[in-house]
Amino acid sequence: MVPHLSTIGLSKSYRKGREAVPVLDGVDLDIDQGDLLAIVGASGSGKSTLLHLIGLIDGADGGQIELNGERIDNLPNRRRDALRNRTFGFIFQFYHLLPELTALENVLIPLTIRYGPLEYLAKRRRFRAEAEAMLDRVGLSHRITHKPNELSGGEMQRVAIARALVGGPSVLLADEPTGNLDANTGREVLDLLRDLNRERALTMILVTHDLGIASKADRVVRLAEGRLEEWSPVLA
Amino acid sequence: MYKYLLCWRYLRTRYIALASIISVMLGVATMIVVNSVMAGFSTMMQERLHGTLSDIIIESFSLNGFDNPDEVMAAIQEAVGDRVDAMAPSLQLFGYAMIPVGGGEHLTREVQIIGVRPEDRAKVGDFAQYLIHQPRPGQDEPPKAEPTFHVPDEYRLNTYAGQVYQQTDPDDPFADILRQDMESLVPADGMILGYAIGTVHRPETGEDMFIAPQGSKVILHFPSAGRTPEAKTGEFTVVSYFKSGMSEYDSMQVYVPIDRIQFLRGQDGFVNQIQVKAKPGTDLDTLARDIRLAMEGKWPTRFLVSTWEQKQGPLLAAVQVEQNILNILLFFIIAVAGFGILGIFSMIVVEKTRDIGILKALGASDSGVRGIFLGYGLTLGMVGSLVGMTGGLLFVKYINEIEKGLSAITGRKVFDDSIYYFPEIPTLVEPLTVAWIVIGALVIAVAASVWPAQRASRMHPVKALRYE
Repeated sequence: MVPHLSTIGLSKSYRKGREAVPVLDGVDLDIDQGDLLAIVGASGSGKSTLLHLIGLIDGADGGQIELNGERIDNLPNRRRDALRNRTFGFIFQFYHLLPELTALENVLIPLTIRYGPLEYLAKRRRFRAEAEAMLDRVGLSHRITHKPNELSGGEMQRVAIARALVGGPSVLLADEPTGNLDANTGREVLDLLRDLNRERALTMILVTHDLGIASKADRVVRLAEGRLEEWSPVLA
Repeated sequence: MYKYLLCWRYLRTRYIALASIISVMLGVATMIVVNSVMAGFSTMMQERLHGTLSDIIIESFSLNGFDNPDEVMAAIQEAVGDRVDAMAPSLQLFGYAMIPVGGGEHLTREVQIIGVRPEDRAKVGDFAQYLIHQPRPGQDEPPKAEPTFHVPDEYRLNTYAGQVYQQTDPDDPFADILRQDMESLVPADGMILGYAIGTVHRPETGEDMFIAPQGSKVILHFPSAGRTPEAKTGEFTVVSYFKSGMSEYDSMQVYVPIDRIQFLRGQDGFVNQIQVKAKPGTDLDTLARDIRLAMEGKWPTRFLVSTWEQKQGPLLAAVQVEQNILNILLFFIIAVAGFGILGIFSMIVVEKTRDIGILKALGASDSGVRGIFLGYGLTLGMVGSLVGMTGGLLFVKYINEIEKGLSAITGRKVFDDSIYYFPEIPTLVEPLTVAWIVIGALVIAVAASVWPAQRASRMHPVKALRYE
C-alpha cells in the first residue's frame, strides 16, 4: 500500500555567514492515512523545518515529498498554493490568527482564499454555517464575534484548529500546538486533536518537545542530527 | 475574496492610512481650486479681449489707412456676407493726452486714439457694455453709459462762465462772449476716456479719484496725415469712461468721433481698421482666411486680416504657459502625497509581516498578497481623490462667500476687486481637467503602493511567520 505521505532523502541547510549549517540530512518518513505521528527532538533540531517542508511553505535543498505516491514538492507555485489551501491544515505554536478579524472570520479565511469574490458571496451562507459548526465542534460557539485579543490562549488555539479544519484537509500539521498553553489547557487541546484525528481519519503530524504529549501519538519519531529514528516512549 | 476583506478591514482599522488619504485629498482639492480659478481668470480675460477687439480685424499696413472703407466693407459683404453680423470702420493712431489738473498744469499720458462711430462700434463687440459714467455723490456703482459722444448742455452750464451766462439776459452783448467762453471750456466733441487714464486708484481708501471728471476738457496731440507727419491738436470733452477690466486697454485707449479726428488730421474719409463681428457659431479662422482671400483678390498686399486670438496670440499663449507651469508644480504636491503613501505602506507591510506569512501558509498566492496592498492603495487613492474632488468643487462653488468670510475675519480684503476690476473671483470648472486630476491622483496612489506590495508578495512565509 502506498503511504499517504512520505519524504525521501529530504535535506535542508541554513546559511550562517559563509557556512551552510545542515539541519535535515536525508530524512525518510512514511505516514499512513489516519496516523497520528509525533516528531520529537531538542529545540533547534529541525522539527519545525521538517514540518514546513512537508507543508510546502518552505523549499527543500534535496530529496522529495510524495502525497499518495505523487511528488508534490516540485509542482508549480499555483498547485503548491492550492495544496496548502486544500490538503494541508496548519496549527502553529503562537496561533497566528489575524488580529483585525473576528474568530468566525479567521476561521473563514481559508475559504476566502480558495474562492473568488463572486463564488464566495454566492455560497457565503453555507460557508458561514460550516465555520460556525467547526467553532461549535471546538467548543467556541459562544465567542464567534470576538477578536483574537479578546480570547484566551486556549481559545485562540481552538480557533486556529477550526481554521485548519474548515477547508476539509486530509493532513493536519501541528507545530508545538500546546507549547504556549498551560498543562490543563494543553491537555484539552491535545484531546481535541486526538478526537478529530479519529473522527475524520485525519493524517496528523505533531511536532513537540514534550514527551508526555508525544506519548498520545500512534507513533513517535525522533529527529536528531538531521535524521529520523523510530522512538518508543517505553524505551526512554 | 480575502483581498477585499482584508483591504476593507485594514482601511477601517489603520488610522495612519488616513494621513495618506488626507494628503491625496488636499493635493486634489488644491489642484481643482487653482485650475478653476485660473481658468476663470483666463476666460474672463479672453472675453474682455474679445469684447474689445471684435471677432476679426482688417487693418491696413500703413497708419494713414485707406479712403474707401465703404467699398471694402461692401467687398467683404459680398464675399462672406452670410457669416457676418456687423462691421465698423475705425481710425487708430498713437498720440498723447494732456489732462488739465488745475493751475495751468497738465498731466500728459501716452494714449491710443481710436476714432469710431460709437453706435457702429457697439455692434461689433462688447464696447457698449464697458461704458460707464462717473458716479454722482452717494452712488456706489458707476451708472452705465450709452455709446455716444454727445456733450450735454449741462456740462457747459456747470462751468463758471455757464453760471454767469444763465443769469445774463440773452440780448446782453456779453452773452455771446460768455457762450464762446463756455464752448472753449467744454468743446463740442465728446470723448470716451480709458478709465485708468481718467482716474487714480488710491489703495489706502480703495477709491478711484477722478482726475479727468465728466465734462472736463482733454487735449489730444497726434500726427497728421501725410508722409511727413506734423503734430496736430484736438480738444475734447470727457462724456464717459471705458472700463473693460483689461488694464492694458483701460490705461491706453481714448475713443473720439471718427469724423472729427479725420478732419483734424486733414484726411476726410480715411480709416485704417475695420472690425468685423461674425454670426454666432462661425469658425473664425476659416472666416478670416476667406476674407483674406477676398481682400488679396481685390487689393493685393494692402490689408492684414487677423482674428482676435491671432492678434492677442502672445498674451493668450503666456497665460497658457503660466497655467501649464502651475499645474506641473501643483502635481508635485500629489507626488509628495504619493511618497507619503509609499512610506506609510512600507510601515504597514512591515507591521503585517506575520499576517502575510499566515495568509501564504494558508494558500494565498504571491499575486493575491500583492493584490491586497495594491487594492489598498487604490482604495486610499479613490477615497482621497473623491473627497478632495468634492471639497475642491465645493470650495470653488462658494469661493466668493469664503473670500468674504476671510476678509471679515482678517479685516483686509483678500480679493481686492479694484485691482482686477472683477466684482467677484471668476471661476470655471472644466470637467476634463477635474477628470485628469483625479486619474492622476489614482495613478500616483497605485504607483506608490507597487513597491511595498511587491515586497509583501515576495516575503518568504517561514521568515514572515517567525517575524516578531
